[in-house]
Amino acid sequence: MRSLHALTGALAAGLVVAFAAAAVNAAPITPTLDDEVIEVLPASAANREDRQLRKRLAARPDDVRLATAVARRYLEQARESGDPRFAGLALAALRAWPDASAAPDEVLFLRATLEQYLHEFDAAVAHLRLLLARPGSERQAQAWLTLATVLRVQGRYAESDGACRAIVGADVYQTACLAENAALRGETAAARRSFETMLAARTLPASTRGWLTTSLAELEERDARAGAADAAYRNVLRLGPDTYAAIAYADFLIAQRRPAEALTVLKDEARTDTVLLRLAIAGTLARSAPATRDVAEMRERIALANERPEASIFHGREQAMFALVVERDPERALALARGDVARQREPLDLLVLAQAARASGRREAIDEARRLKSSIGLHDRRIDALL
Amino acid sequence: MRAVYALALLLAASVAGAHKASDSYLQITASTGQLDVRWDIALRDLDVALDLDSDADGKLTWGEVRAAWPRIEAYALRRLVIDGCPLASVGRALERRNDGAYAVLMLRSTCTLPAGAPRISYGLFADVDPTHRGIAKVQRAGEKVALSVLEPTAAMAGVTSTAASASDAASGVSTAASTAPASIDRPSPSVTRPGRWEFLLEGVRHILTGYDHVLFLLCLLLPSVMRRSPVGWQPVERLGAAVWPVVGIVSAFTVAHSITLGLAALKLVSLTPAFIEPAIAATIVLAALDNVLPIFPVRRVVVTFFFGLIHGFGFAGVLAELNLPRADFAWALLQFNLGLEVGQLVIVAVATSVLFALRRWRGYPKFVIGAGSLVAIAIGVLWLIERIGNVSIMPV
Repeated sequence: MRSLHALTGALAAGLVVAFAAAAVNAAPITPTLDDEVIEVLPASAANREDRQLRKRLAARPDDVRLATAVARRYLEQARESGDPRFAGLALAALRAWPDASAAPDEVLFLRATLEQYLHEFDAAVAHLRLLLARPGSERQAQAWLTLATVLRVQGRYAESDGACRAIVGADVYQTACLAENAALRGETAAARRSFETMLAARTLPASTRGWLTTSLAELEERDARAGAADAAYRNVLRLGPDTYAAIAYADFLIAQRRPAEALTVLKDEARTDTVLLRLAIAGTLARSAPATRDVAEMRERIALANERPEASIFHGREQAMFALVVERDPERALALARGDVARQREPLDLLVLAQAARASGRREAIDEARRLKSSIGLHDRRIDALL
Repeated sequence: MRAVYALALLLAASVAGAHKASDSYLQITASTGQLDVRWDIALRDLDVALDLDSDADGKLTWGEVRAAWPRIEAYALRRLVIDGCPLASVGRALERRNDGAYAVLMLRSTCTLPAGAPRISYGLFADVDPTHRGIAKVQRAGEKVALSVLEPTAAMAGVTSTAASASDAASGVSTAASTAPASIDRPSPSVTRPGRWEFLLEGVRHILTGYDHVLFLLCLLLPSVMRRSPVGWQPVERLGAAVWPVVGIVSAFTVAHSITLGLAALKLVSLTPAFIEPAIAATIVLAALDNVLPIFPVRRVVVTFFFGLIHGFGFAGVLAELNLPRADFAWALLQFNLGLEVGQLVIVAVATSVLFALRRWRGYPKFVIGAGSLVAIAIGVLWLIERIGNVSIMPV
């Protein structure tokens, strides 16, 4: 009932914004010359290899190899650019297999991964379970790992453990997967030891090293060991560009009241919604000169996304952060955060809920956040400090 | 004129960062005896469905959009039905929104919309992006605006019946309701297992099923068990005499294609498949022609090296399809290349053994070298035509 309430609230808030922004920044174009450029397409649209692949797929839409190759490329682009349109295109590449139970393994796995990207967590879990119930699933280490990740995002740690244990033949991933859950539950010392042992291995590929170090940084951050978290984040970023880590580090720096440093960490990142949100927040807190522009642009993008009414539910976390820090509107932030945790329960989601509850001064909201945290079994000293 | 171009580019670039899901916007105004629809559709989305960018340069010019306008209207009109009212186009415009340029279709009908919520059948982009939505605002005279979100249904898009029956509850095709993950997710790392040789196998598979590369190698090998003499082709005596030229040719081919494969994979050099694919066909024709009638002014090893450079770009083309892992790129590339070499050695070993066994046959020069080369020339020419004209003649 409560979550239904939160959903309606968020939906209503979205509708108001949608109407307020009836014609978001639309301006007529009146070209006069034929060679006037009207639109620059994303790089992949002109990429010859991509075009060729798409053309071949159009001729043979049920060629598993082609379809999954195209879907993978689009998924990669969605992840790199933060542009959700690519995820839609990827799903379309797999449309020859509308019936999930009859889809080849690779197609089903990609579909679930796309659903994960689109935050359709329940659908992703259903498809991964379908895939992993098939014979030979012990070879599907990647699918088990993805399932463990999605369940973790939903705050279902015990089930996530089960998926972690099924990862065989890839020891480091199984160990890291279990350590991640252990850390979330507060078995901090054991998890830290586990990460440090894995990181001591010299032969680790750089991508795995970055992933493990990020997990360690987040563990230290939740355990309120700012110095260790800071060092771990900097270690990750020394390994090479890593957008996820840069954003997580920026959030950490903002929480540490070091917004100017957060701006520096993000300065080379593409201005995706996630990055722009942090720029707007850190810029506001640091009273930096470009903050006004970033805030205006972020406000505009939120209004634009909210023209699709349900968007405020799906992006509740980010919209709540914006409402809380930039718009200083705790009531709206609380409504958005409540809608968000109905779907997604990562530590950051609960942290934002707790911050909004605290800022709103509502006793029942604070209780609600506390109850949710204990029902998940999350250990996070940042949240404890707020409740 | 150049200034206009630059300004337009600048404008388009400034909004490129705004990422949202694909939406079209319908403003539906109904009064007695008249229905007006203003429909804004992103050009970027239309390009995916209709290939508006005819010169494939990644930019949509007014000329390209203007030329495609009838196709845009036809495509869109087939995918929208409002309470059975026949819609006709009465105007067009372009509009810049935060996330890019939109085509604006002005549609009209002399239909009176029945009372109640209008029944709108919507199928735009059902075949290219199932997460697309139409955001409709319906305004009736004297009433408040009603907002509805239209989900494209495959049945409307005229796609095949198998896709239209996509209604199983777990089908992600229809469940993705909103799609602008403003949050960045922690990507799961890709599980890589040391000791697996999947890209090596890909390399082997590619050369064994890459008929053009095989045919090129065969053309080079056909005369390797013979030598040219004043009285025509003479069989070599010992295997050694055949093996060394083969080793030379194969090494030249290997070194050359490894160079270009590496350069292309590292994105240091890029050549369009529109050139490379016909060029590969041409190397076959020339190599086979040289068997019948010496045409190369330099030694075959040198020619093989140059042709190998071209084939390397062809190998690089499949790399895109393989999606080499970015984390361990060098290792995967090395495996792929080693796989190519292994496959190539198998072909060479088999072909050389067979040819060596056949070398004393009297018909060898005439049938194996002569007729074999002519067949290769014919196939090469057909490939050349196919690849230049973008038509399909042969089964492979």
